[in-house]
Amino acid sequence: MRRLGEGDRPPAAADAGLTVSVTSAPAVDGRRLRSERTRHLIIEAYLSLLRDSSQVPTSAQIAERAGYSVRSVFERFPDLMSLRIAATDYAFAKSTADAELRDLDGDRSTRIRSQVETRARTCEAWLPMWRALNANQGDSDELRSRVRLARELIFRRLELMYQPELSTLAEPLRRYTLIALEALTDFESWGRMRENYGLTIEEAREVWMRTIDRLLPPTPSA
Amino acid sequence: MVGESKSLVDGRRLRSERTRQYIIEAYLALLRQNPRPPTAAQIAERAGYSVRSLFERFPDLLSLSLAAADYAFAQANTQAVIRNATADRDTRIRTQVETRARTCEDWLPLWRALVLNQQVSEELRLRIRRVREAIMARILLMYRPELDSVSQVERRRTLIAIEALTDFESWARMREAAGLSFEEACTVWIRAIDRLLPPTPGS
Repeated sequence: MRRLGEGDRPPAAADAGLTVSVTSAPAVDGRRLRSERTRHLIIEAYLSLLRDSSQVPTSAQIAERAGYSVRSVFERFPDLMSLRIAATDYAFAKSTADAELRDLDGDRSTRIRSQVETRARTCEAWLPMWRALNANQGDSDELRSRVRLARELIFRRLELMYQPELSTLAEPLRRYTLIALEALTDFESWGRMRENYGLTIEEAREVWMRTIDRLLPPTPSA
Repeated sequence: MVGESKSLVDGRRLRSERTRQYIIEAYLALLRQNPRPPTAAQIAERAGYSVRSLFERFPDLLSLSLAAADYAFAQANTQAVIRNATADRDTRIRTQVETRARTCEDWLPLWRALVLNQQVSEELRLRIRRVREAIMARILLMYRPELDSVSQVERRRTLIAIEALTDFESWARMREAAGLSFEEACTVWIRAIDRLLPPTPGS
């Protein structure tokens, strides 16, 4: 360990008369940063392989895509399941950040458009990840709990966006409407519109917007 | 003599067919218990045969899953006879929903296995496509009066929406995640389809 000299002390600390005892901290921080970066690149490699092919990638494929050795992968993740879970958490954090709630107080058509555009973007970006997650959820309680959490978030967002209309319905009709809205705007519903029916993003959004408009009860007057 | 050997051959063929059928049914029964594709040993044990017998009838597990898909498709078609295609709107919606719900209830585990394995086989993908086409054709048939009254673009949009709504996994989420009863889940679909369809002409 190299002892820090006077020149290593940050000016503020020196001014305050503090003794710098963080020996080798920059080296440790640098190492941690590199390790974090490697971890991140491995997760990115896993996600990009999922986008290329719906087959769950092998550790060799992931290592090759990330530009590391298989050993490096397993130094960061004890097994492929841990990598899947980390990738899922990363994807959730990213998609939540990208899907900021907007236009909550907008009129009916603005709210529908806003919700559909956000949901379509999420589906377009994360469908491969979602498929892999569903295919593997039988192997892990942790993956199952993440699928559940994602669905709960989708429900909560629908409830928020269409609160004025849903508030006019008594239970269980309110719940039934939410269930139908969730089914219509499911990842696989988006996947089929884009892959099977060959709809463009704009056409697919149009299907959802018109459908949601029909499913929702009239908007109460303000 | 000729008659004797013919009946021997027929008997053997019949037994072989029966064994094949038992193996398919064992595969489907295991899928209903656990969504993970069963192993050859598990299927053979459930059917009461050896693994060797299994592979005498099916060269690999993919062939078995294809045979099971064909069997299921034929069975589901028999169960889902088209009824009330010319009845009033409410009757048609209820009939279509109940038929679709029964199909989802019975064949969801197999459907999941097919979807999970579709990447490994063009034949599986083809069967999935065929099932989806059959679902679309039935929706079109049951709601012809309403769908014929709108433009082609609008008809396609409505068909896509009804297909998404009545997907296998939509049914599964209502039954497994939301904990709805069969009747409650049917009500969700009936109400939603009624809202999605354009008005019935002349009503």
